[in-house]
Amino acid sequence: MRSLLGVLVARPDFEAGMKEELRFHIEQYAEDLMRSGVPRDEALRRARMELGGLNTVKGECRQARGVYLFDEFARELRYAARLLRKTPGFTMTALLTLAVCLGANLTIFAVIDAILIRPLPFPDAGRLVTMYNTYPKAGVERDGSSVTNYYERRGRIPAFSSLSIYRFGTSIVGEPGSTERLQITQVSPDFFTTLGAGPAVGSVFTDAETTYQTDDVAILSDGYWKEHFNADPHVIGRGIRADGHLRTVVGVLSPGFRFLSSESQLYFPLSSRPEDRLPAERHSGGNVIQMIARLKPGATLAQAQSQIDAQNAALERDDPQAKMMADAGFRTLVVPLHADQVAAIRPTLLLLEAGVLALLLIGAVNLMNLLLIRASARSKEIAVRQALGASQRHVVSEVLVETTLLTLAGGLLGIIAGIGGIRLVAALGADRLPLGAHIHPDAGWAMVALAAAIVLGALLAAPIAWFNLRLQPSSGLQSEARGGTAGRATQTLRHGFVVAQIALAFVLLAGTGLLGLSLKRAMAVSPGFESDHVIAGQISLVGNKYPSPEAGLAFSERLTDELGHQPGVLFAGVSNNIPFSGASGKSAATVVGHVLRAGESPRANYSYGVAGDYFRAMGFSLIAGRFLTGADSRIRVRVCVVDEDFARYYWPQTSAVGHRLFQGSEAGPDAEAFTVVGVVGSVKQAGLTDDAAEGAVYYPYIYRAENNIFVAVRGSVQPESLASTLRRSARQIDPELAVNDIQSMDERIAESLVVRRSPALLGGIFSGIALLLITIGTYGVLSYAVAQRRREIGVRVALGARPEQIRAQFLSVALRLLAAGMILGLAGAWVAGKTMQTVLFHVPAHSPVILAGSAAIIAAFSLIACMLPSRRAARISPIEILADQY
Amino acid sequence: MGKTAALLPGTLDMLILKAVSLKPLHGYGVLLRIRQISGDALKIPQGSLYPALYRLEHQGLIDANWGQSENNRRAKYYTLTASGRRRLREETVGWNRLVTAIAAAMNTRSEEV
Repeated sequence: MRSLLGVLVARPDFEAGMKEELRFHIEQYAEDLMRSGVPRDEALRRARMELGGLNTVKGECRQARGVYLFDEFARELRYAARLLRKTPGFTMTALLTLAVCLGANLTIFAVIDAILIRPLPFPDAGRLVTMYNTYPKAGVERDGSSVTNYYERRGRIPAFSSLSIYRFGTSIVGEPGSTERLQITQVSPDFFTTLGAGPAVGSVFTDAETTYQTDDVAILSDGYWKEHFNADPHVIGRGIRADGHLRTVVGVLSPGFRFLSSESQLYFPLSSRPEDRLPAERHSGGNVIQMIARLKPGATLAQAQSQIDAQNAALERDDPQAKMMADAGFRTLVVPLHADQVAAIRPTLLLLEAGVLALLLIGAVNLMNLLLIRASARSKEIAVRQALGASQRHVVSEVLVETTLLTLAGGLLGIIAGIGGIRLVAALGADRLPLGAHIHPDAGWAMVALAAAIVLGALLAAPIAWFNLRLQPSSGLQSEARGGTAGRATQTLRHGFVVAQIALAFVLLAGTGLLGLSLKRAMAVSPGFESDHVIAGQISLVGNKYPSPEAGLAFSERLTDELGHQPGVLFAGVSNNIPFSGASGKSAATVVGHVLRAGESPRANYSYGVAGDYFRAMGFSLIAGRFLTGADSRIRVRVCVVDEDFARYYWPQTSAVGHRLFQGSEAGPDAEAFTVVGVVGSVKQAGLTDDAAEGAVYYPYIYRAENNIFVAVRGSVQPESLASTLRRSARQIDPELAVNDIQSMDERIAESLVVRRSPALLGGIFSGIALLLITIGTYGVLSYAVAQRRREIGVRVALGARPEQIRAQFLSVALRLLAAGMILGLAGAWVAGKTMQTVLFHVPAHSPVILAGSAAIIAAFSLIACMLPSRRAARISPIEILADQY
Repeated sequence: MGKTAALLPGTLDMLILKAVSLKPLHGYGVLLRIRQISGDALKIPQGSLYPALYRLEHQGLIDANWGQSENNRRAKYYTLTASGRRRLREETVGWNRLVTAIAAAMNTRSEEV
């Protein structure tokens, strides 16, 4: 490398020296010749002759010196740059095509890389797994793990070197007067060991710190330590107040620590009472606590799964609920942690990747066509140069340098476009995807971009080089001289490319159409309640002031009462969960008198505890009976309201009102039964596209109290002013409580559709670009065909052909290409539709409307593209042509 | 012209090294010297001389320095380097062995077989 640099630095000296040396030689030789009587001119001529071609000698000298390849490359680079500058229209089109196609690909690649490809930031992250209990026949696909699971499994599953549980949560942190609500994670002592990323300073939690009496310790994230403790090196042992309790700092995590998508600033022990760890609580996960484990080196996922299955089977032998769990299809699944995190979004991301790759292919094919046309236009020059002795290697390397220069410049522009694209997808919600917060362009990403550009350059060069090499010097010159048509093969190639482009664009368009239709169908689904003019916010009733359900109820009643008196507020209510909150909150109910039929398993349904005017605030419809009221909680009457799905399942023939049920999976004493007093309309609980109708039961808040409550407010004013009313009222009652996550129900519904809307939107952008590209491509190829056959057309016009005939001839070429592309596209769209089924909602894989619409759009764009060249062909005047030729 | 012999492939480098080993020479001088020491029998194709010189210089077998020619003009003079001297020795030994062997082979008579 150094010697190459030395050679390059010394190059100007070298050239001058070589020139002087050769001149010296010629002059010396000429002088000797003159001395023997040769005249000066003749002597110089002979001296030059004997040396051979001066340029050849110089070239060989450079080659001998080792600067040859570089010189050659620099020369070719200059030549390529000159050629590109000479055709600004082509160069701009090519660069824009590359920038857009590479930019789109880089954007999606950044997303895929961050979410699907990059391993989790832990040592040997591939060995991390997660486990969850599933009861598919009861309608509960995923129920997390229980504390009991943890104590029963840890240390007893040979395939795991470490196993732990965690629970995400929030906490009010800080001294009174300056508190803030922070994301926290409660973890079992072995959590950091399982991940392989312990605290940078201090220690992990101990087993002794997992009871409510002894868990007053905390581990800080690096960010929290720097921000709140000023990176104090002696932070261990200092105090931090969380939810009113003082905790001692025992450790600080390293700066790079990041667990999945969590933004937790603090880590607390996951405490439990002895009774929480009993076998009776084995199935009480509720999808709140999650379990992770690390496979031992050499152990496989299958081994872990079979060991878990064996342990479950052994434990269920003594379990009184075993029969019911078996009926519910209970199993514990062991799955890779990373794959599990991204499982839901993976098909959509892969679909988008397929979409951008199609776009890149269209762009590449387009470029290849434009390059081929360019090469055809230069075929005479190339043929002459080959006839004059340009080597094959030279012809190939020249093409390679030119296309690579083009794609590298396009790649640089693509990087800029990609940075913009990453901002765009972040705005479209990519940063809220699992592991999506770390989508950003970095050096590695830019390297991938440039590498891709170089590969693309080489791929584009291949057919052009092939075309140039096939030029027989003689035939190339002759066919040009005679003004004949271009080689059949290259024309077929060009046409093939146009067909491929149209087919790919068709598939892209049809696929986007399916996504759009699916989005439209999803948006058309009614959520089951009147979602306009309603806002909901979340309040955590923490601290010493709310030790009991009664205290929570008292707060809820005061708040709804206060809100009810505010201007613009119609109804206000409280529930421990609301639809579209993202929390599931399912549990079992046992209906009095319902006997499980053969093959029927116990069902889990959504369970809510409501206070105030919750139903009216949310805009539920009343089907039968009455809504629950505040009085039901206050005077403690055991009543409940069920939704239509629930009523239809258990009492298909009769009215549900008056029937009785128990909370939980077992019937209790008669006095604990709840009487159904009303039936409300079913609502979409988790999302509009949620087809499962598990049913819901609404209890008075006092019987299903939780510290985390949602407040729903319906008003006659704008949601923004309702939000400030809600904040103000809550602060009036308890200034220490914060209302979080205030959003209108419409916004919540819209947000639940983001995984459908954003791909459809991106697909739309890709399709738009694709249409533009095929228009450019078709236009380019046909214009070239017209330009090339000008003489033939001129002669035919001179011989009496009418302009319409000429126009029809070119249009028919275009139509044939279009038809072929459409047929291929239809086949592609069929395959794409089949592949997309999993991400579609109530849309068949082959919607005739979509296919016909795509065909119409493609046809319209291609026809516009070929109209102009065809008309130009029809207007060719024979006089001009003949004048041109001579 | 009947006396001149075509240069055997691969021998030009060796001849240049030999010529330069006697006295530092410029390119044209190398040409004349080879003609002189071969008794005008070897004709060097002028076009291959300079690429060969540059190659040998690149390989570090000869060194080039600008100096004054006999008629006071600036000219590039080539001298043998230490590794060039070593190479020349090796080539000379190898060449002599080859010549001896070929001569022996070519002088063989049928009764000696």
